[in-house]
Amino acid sequence: MTVQTAVLPKLAVNVVGLSKAFGERVVLKNLRMRIARGEFVALLGESGCGKTTLLRALAGLEPVDGGHIEAPRLPAIVFQEPRLLPWEPLWRNVSLGLPAPDARDRAVAALTEVGLTGRFDDWPLKLSGGQAHRVALARALVKEPELLLLDEPFAAVDALTRIKMHVLVKTLVARHRPGVLLVTHDVDEAIVLADRILIMSGGVIDRDYLVADYPERRVLRRLLLADLGVLLTDEA
Amino acid sequence: MPWAGPLALVTIWEIAARLGLIPPHLLPAPTTVLGTAIGLAVEGTLLTDLLVSLSRAAIGFFIGGSVGFALGTAVGFSRLAEAVLDRSIQMLRSIPFVASLPLVIVWFGVAEAEKIFVVSLAVMFPIYINTTLGIRQVDPKLLELGRVSGLDTAETIRRIVLPGALPSILTGIRYALAVAWLALVVAETVGASSGIGFLALDAREFLRTDVIIVTIVIYAVIGVLADGIARWLERRLLAWHPNYAGGRRK
Ligand SMILES: Nc1ncnc2c1ncn2[C@@H]1O[C@H](COP(=O)(O)OP(=O)(O)O)[C@@H](O)[C@H]1O
Ligand SMILES: [Mg+2]
Repeated sequence: MTVQTAVLPKLAVNVVGLSKAFGERVVLKNLRMRIARGEFVALLGESGCGKTTLLRALAGLEPVDGGHIEAPRLPAIVFQEPRLLPWEPLWRNVSLGLPAPDARDRAVAALTEVGLTGRFDDWPLKLSGGQAHRVALARALVKEPELLLLDEPFAAVDALTRIKMHVLVKTLVARHRPGVLLVTHDVDEAIVLADRILIMSGGVIDRDYLVADYPERRVLRRLLLADLGVLLTDEA
Repeated sequence: MPWAGPLALVTIWEIAARLGLIPPHLLPAPTTVLGTAIGLAVEGTLLTDLLVSLSRAAIGFFIGGSVGFALGTAVGFSRLAEAVLDRSIQMLRSIPFVASLPLVIVWFGVAEAEKIFVVSLAVMFPIYINTTLGIRQVDPKLLELGRVSGLDTAETIRRIVLPGALPSILTGIRYALAVAWLALVVAETVGASSGIGFLALDAREFLRTDVIIVTIVIYAVIGVLADGIARWLERRLLAWHPNYAGGRRK
């Protein structure tokens, strides 16, 4: 296996021949995937098909059995749960891993961006679930990463908060332009946010849809759902 | 209001003693005890004895706590240290420290070293166990976060491992403060020439019930104070934790 920190000129991620098995269970099978810089890619797939494993491999958190990964050395990740350090105030959480001098200013700016003005010194355990997720997002974006990895980051928040988070992610990503890989099980979320939608199945990227090719969202939605094994009747 | 009960009890005790319902050589009146305490403090050696006892407890706590924390950290972090140390420490722990007292006296005599050793030994185990436990219980998801955030080992320990282990370590400290005191009482009453335990032992020789009660009250007050210190530490250091903030515990 080779992991290179240098990235091809216009790619944020380049994965070739990636393989991974947990014991007998083969999860990634000679998988191939590319994400361009500034491109927003959504990854859909049945639960347990290996989406998290792929994302963790990109972040260098999961040792793989073979293949070639080119990705920035320290991408920013938002996990499914916020993973805040409960003993550090919000601004310290957001500035985790940022080099020192203007860390606080940058953290404060990021918290303001996600709508948490005036809560910079609060403890994380005082936050609601949605607020904690926004802090996690701020922590990822403050690094101005070349690659942003999101693993079902909105699955645990209520529907209304999720819509607000979608708008937020869209604006922030538009401003910083990182390459984004969003793992989700929500087809509509993928359509709203992504430039490109991948379907993962059998350890490989099975389908690849450019959202711009489908001016009629309902058409794309139907195709995606069919790929995921949901067949809709006409009126649905 | 919570003090109403104890206050009533003391008042009843006082009245009963004054009326001669309780023989004074078994249980003198509270005012007599207070008078004895003041007398001992002004003319006798009460304050020096108190200071001697407190410094024994403090030195023993410091030594035992440091050793327990060092061992706990080593075993918490390193599988190798665990393999080498943990079994032996657990075996030593299963010996009640009172049972080891005769041996300790053979080693050290009834000198200062004996008392400090017993206190250290009693303190070491709760600190050791809770430090190990605390480090083990640090959320692996947070450790992973540290890794993807690019923290180095020192920063990971400072910002994730130690704060994560702290609630458990503080529980250990709280428990250790209580056993330190207990160990000291036992060690001092076995043999000493100064200290609160010596005062009690001496008073027993002369059937001075009032002095014995003074020493018992002092032990109780210091026990309560030690617990207060532990709670204060928890409130200060665990301010981020909803269960501790504002002085309330779950
Ligand atoms: N650490 C692990 N040990 C063993 N099996 C694992 C481990 N992590 C994931 N798996 C298995 O690999 C498969 C893919 O998991 P995952 O990548 O989490 O799926 P997804 O995120 O798509 O739901 C699952 O069958 C899961 O049980
Ligand atoms: Mg997953």
